[in-house]
Amino acid sequence: MGEASNAAGESIRLDDVHLEVASAAGRVNILRGIDLTVGTGERIAVVGPSGSGKSTMMMVIGGLEAPTSGAVTVAGHDLARMGEDALARFRRAHVGIVFQNFHLVPTMTALENVAVPLELARRGDAFEAAAAALESVGLGHRLSHYPAQLSGGEQQRCALARAFAPEPTIVLADEPTGNLDVETGEQIIALMFDLARRRGTTFVLITHDRSLARRCDRIVRLVDGRIIDADAPAETAADRAAAE
Amino acid sequence: MSATVLAWARRELRTGLKGFGIFLACLVIGVGAIATVTSLKSGIDASLRDDGRAILGGDLEARLALRPASEAEIASMARLGTVSAIARARGMVEAANDRIGRVEVQAVDDTYPLYGELRLETGLALDDAIAEVDGRHGAVVAPSLLDQLDIAIGDTIALGEETLQVRDVIAFEPDAASQGLLAGARVIVSHAAFEETGLIQPGSLIYWHYRLRLSDGDASAAMTALNQANPEAGWRLRDYTEAAPQVQRVIDRLGVFMVLVGLTALLVGGLGVGNAVRAFIEGRLATIATLKCLGATGATIFALYLVQIGVLALLGVVAGLALGAILMIAGSGLLSGVLPLEISVGIYPGALTLAAVFGALTALAFSLWPLSLARQLKASTLFRAAVMPPGGRPRAADLVAIGAIAALLAGLAIATADRPDFAAWFVAGAIGAFVVFRLIAEGLIRLIKRLPRPRRPDLRLALSSLSRPGTPTPMILLSLGIGLTVLVAIALIEGNMSRQVDQVRPADAPDVFLIDIQRDQEQRLREIVAETPGVEDLVMVPSLRGQITAFNGIPARQAIVAPEEDWVISGDRGVTYEAQPALDRYTIIAGEWWPADYDGPPLISIYEDIARAFGAEIGDRLTVNILGRDIEAEIASIRDIEWQNGTVNFTMVFSPNPLAAAPHTSMATVRTTTQGDALFERAIYDAFPNVTTIRVRDILASVEELLGQLSAAIRVVAAVTLVAGTLVLGGAMAAGHKRRTYDAVIFKVLGAARWDVVRAFLVEYGLLGLLAAAIAAVIGTAAAWGVITFVMEADWYWLAWPIASTLAIALLITLTLGMVGTWRALGTKAAPLLRNE
Repeated sequence: MGEASNAAGESIRLDDVHLEVASAAGRVNILRGIDLTVGTGERIAVVGPSGSGKSTMMMVIGGLEAPTSGAVTVAGHDLARMGEDALARFRRAHVGIVFQNFHLVPTMTALENVAVPLELARRGDAFEAAAAALESVGLGHRLSHYPAQLSGGEQQRCALARAFAPEPTIVLADEPTGNLDVETGEQIIALMFDLARRRGTTFVLITHDRSLARRCDRIVRLVDGRIIDADAPAETAADRAAAE
Repeated sequence: MSATVLAWARRELRTGLKGFGIFLACLVIGVGAIATVTSLKSGIDASLRDDGRAILGGDLEARLALRPASEAEIASMARLGTVSAIARARGMVEAANDRIGRVEVQAVDDTYPLYGELRLETGLALDDAIAEVDGRHGAVVAPSLLDQLDIAIGDTIALGEETLQVRDVIAFEPDAASQGLLAGARVIVSHAAFEETGLIQPGSLIYWHYRLRLSDGDASAAMTALNQANPEAGWRLRDYTEAAPQVQRVIDRLGVFMVLVGLTALLVGGLGVGNAVRAFIEGRLATIATLKCLGATGATIFALYLVQIGVLALLGVVAGLALGAILMIAGSGLLSGVLPLEISVGIYPGALTLAAVFGALTALAFSLWPLSLARQLKASTLFRAAVMPPGGRPRAADLVAIGAIAALLAGLAIATADRPDFAAWFVAGAIGAFVVFRLIAEGLIRLIKRLPRPRRPDLRLALSSLSRPGTPTPMILLSLGIGLTVLVAIALIEGNMSRQVDQVRPADAPDVFLIDIQRDQEQRLREIVAETPGVEDLVMVPSLRGQITAFNGIPARQAIVAPEEDWVISGDRGVTYEAQPALDRYTIIAGEWWPADYDGPPLISIYEDIARAFGAEIGDRLTVNILGRDIEAEIASIRDIEWQNGTVNFTMVFSPNPLAAAPHTSMATVRTTTQGDALFERAIYDAFPNVTTIRVRDILASVEELLGQLSAAIRVVAAVTLVAGTLVLGGAMAAGHKRRTYDAVIFKVLGAARWDVVRAFLVEYGLLGLLAAAIAAVIGTAAAWGVITFVMEADWYWLAWPIASTLAIALLITLTLGMVGTWRALGTKAAPLLRNE
């Protein structure tokens, strides 16, 4: 696990990243030379049509998928040089992930779900910190509930608490409101942006929702595995403040 | 990390054992089968060991055929300890109501039994019961004789020339297991009464047993001393460690078979365990991927599920051991009715430990593959619409671990078996079957991928399901195939055992044997046969007993070159002499018969097994002890004998001159009709009370009863394997259920009618079932052939019906299970599933 040089203020850096997968019909190029830099504390939205490579790019950033070629440096780590277990430890220390389908562990309570990454990090106060995280997302009264006993919005709030509890430097969110109604989705987004802002977290958001994308500092547009626009202007600060 | 893993495992297990029913059931059946078999074997061994002296009737026994021991021989025995003499003979008895019955007479002295206790139903002492009272000797008899003759205690029976009073019924005979199959009901009398019967005639087939309670207890030293003092005694000496060789042989053979069955149950159970773990892991894929996204390493995931599987395996093993202990008690009760000994019921820690180790290793070996694949599950699958079951192979280190555990399991099975060669064949066969089914599954998948896609959507769905990425085809084919193989093998073994009964008696076999015919009775016997309607084909030959003592002057035991044939020297064998073969029943394979008027030095014709035992050739010399005299004869011919045809035959036939002058009796066979049977028996009894008639039908009934009990045991085994096989199948189906539900929902949404979906699944499982059945028929037949030929040492018959019916039933079960699963899948509401996906 090589500790690459960490350019000042850079949280994520992708250099000419390609990713091909084999299929019955031959090789498919999913990412075709991605160059992307995300500053520390920066919030970017990734948009693009389905199949454009958004989720794959996020997986590459999270160390869940290895690129075929190119360099990936995240939180100062050169991911290409890290093994499967080293990548797991890297995620544990630096990355929080929020899914469209929440992906809570059904056999664990809300408190236990949020405690998982803290336990993995061997935090002695895992359950206290988890309880505090749930309290901060308004689920202080649902600690001992199982996922099946929570509403969709509550499940996603629980997932947010789990992603933010270890205080990661980077949070990756894949369509986090895709499974929620508009009102609940609004609440979740507000909460997520608030958490990211308060903790100075670098935030990568995949979304199809343009209005949601505009709340970020920058919009990255992907088409057919290529970034066609990495610096699309987001809203003005005033608009953003109003939105938040 | 370990504390975290344990805490997570506890959290997951907290939700209960749902979905682990098949896992636990398979393990309980496998461990239970091994625990029962090994415990029963331990119990029987313990009985034979602990009660060996009671079963033999002494520390050691010298058995003589046809003659009692000489005074010098008795004196040499008496110098070593207390001697108890008993005589055993077959005879006929007649009740006052004119009914007659066959008996096995045992004459005993007042020291009988030296060990153990003979119990009588009314509690009388044996000495009192058989004593002479008011000029009449007493007898105690087996309960069956009272029914057979319709008499009661206090009535009289005539045995030879003596009338005996039945004074009591035998409740338990300690030395019953030392004798083989009885041809009649046991009657115990005193020596004085036995002498009065007139059954003791020169050459009568009477066995004299001399049992010793040794002063210093060293049986092997005593045997050496006895042989040195009486080199020409021609007796068979054995000590308490080999008290019941015939029972031991049956137990050993049955034990080998039962252990193979136990291992089969464990193997099939192991498959079920593997399927259950796979299904469990499939249900946890999202959780595993989530934990990986949260930073859990592959090792953490592996440990988390290994701990859970371990806890459940422990539960299954403990339950299996408890089941084994209970079945051991039940089984020993059942077997005590079949075997002539009381099985020591108890907990045998060695047997249970072995079963536990087998169970734990099996659970581990079959769980590691799916656990290893879980470790490799890519966290990125969470970002895809459906989390696919992990495919491919475990990583190299895990494959090595699986191989090492499998090797340990195989090694343990072979090392702990009474017959390591059979266990090794079993292991090789199991591995071979696994490889064959796996290769054929892979071949099938490749073939289907190359086939053009059919136009019909149901066929297309069926074929694509069989060959899609992550298809359960190999797993289902393996589970189904191994299950069917076991069922085919069991059905064929059962069918063969039943067939043995039919083959026991060929059409031209004699119906009645007569033994102990005195020479002055031979002419009258011929007349009776001629006079009695329905009786024909009399064959009469001299009958003696002899024991091989030397070959070319070398003591027999040292001269043996083929140890597997050493039974030829283990005791006395039937011997006769003949100038010319009475019938064309001898098949000479080497040498030639002596001339009809041959009067030179002794010649002998021997059975080919004897020749093989010593590596004998024509012209070699064989020494046989007959009536205490060693007779050395030159081997003139070697014969093959078809024992199955039921005619009288002898392993050794002498030329007439050395034996014609020796005191001996003859034996004869006749063929009778049912009516002639009763008339003949009566006529013989009236003319010769000393001659015993033995009806082949009665012997066959005993053999049939024994084989019937064996068949019952095999049917129980078949039931166990059927349950295990069905569980495995159920597990395989459960493992694919999630996929089937998803497919069914999608097809329903697309407008497919229920029947369209059902048809697709029927084609899929029908194809798998037919393929598995065809392979199982071949492998199962080979396995059954091996068991029948080498374990049971019986003749093999290829039977089409058991194969066809077993496969048909098994296919029906498969399709029914598939249908039930599919119907359940079709009942799933589409909305929740689609929303979650």
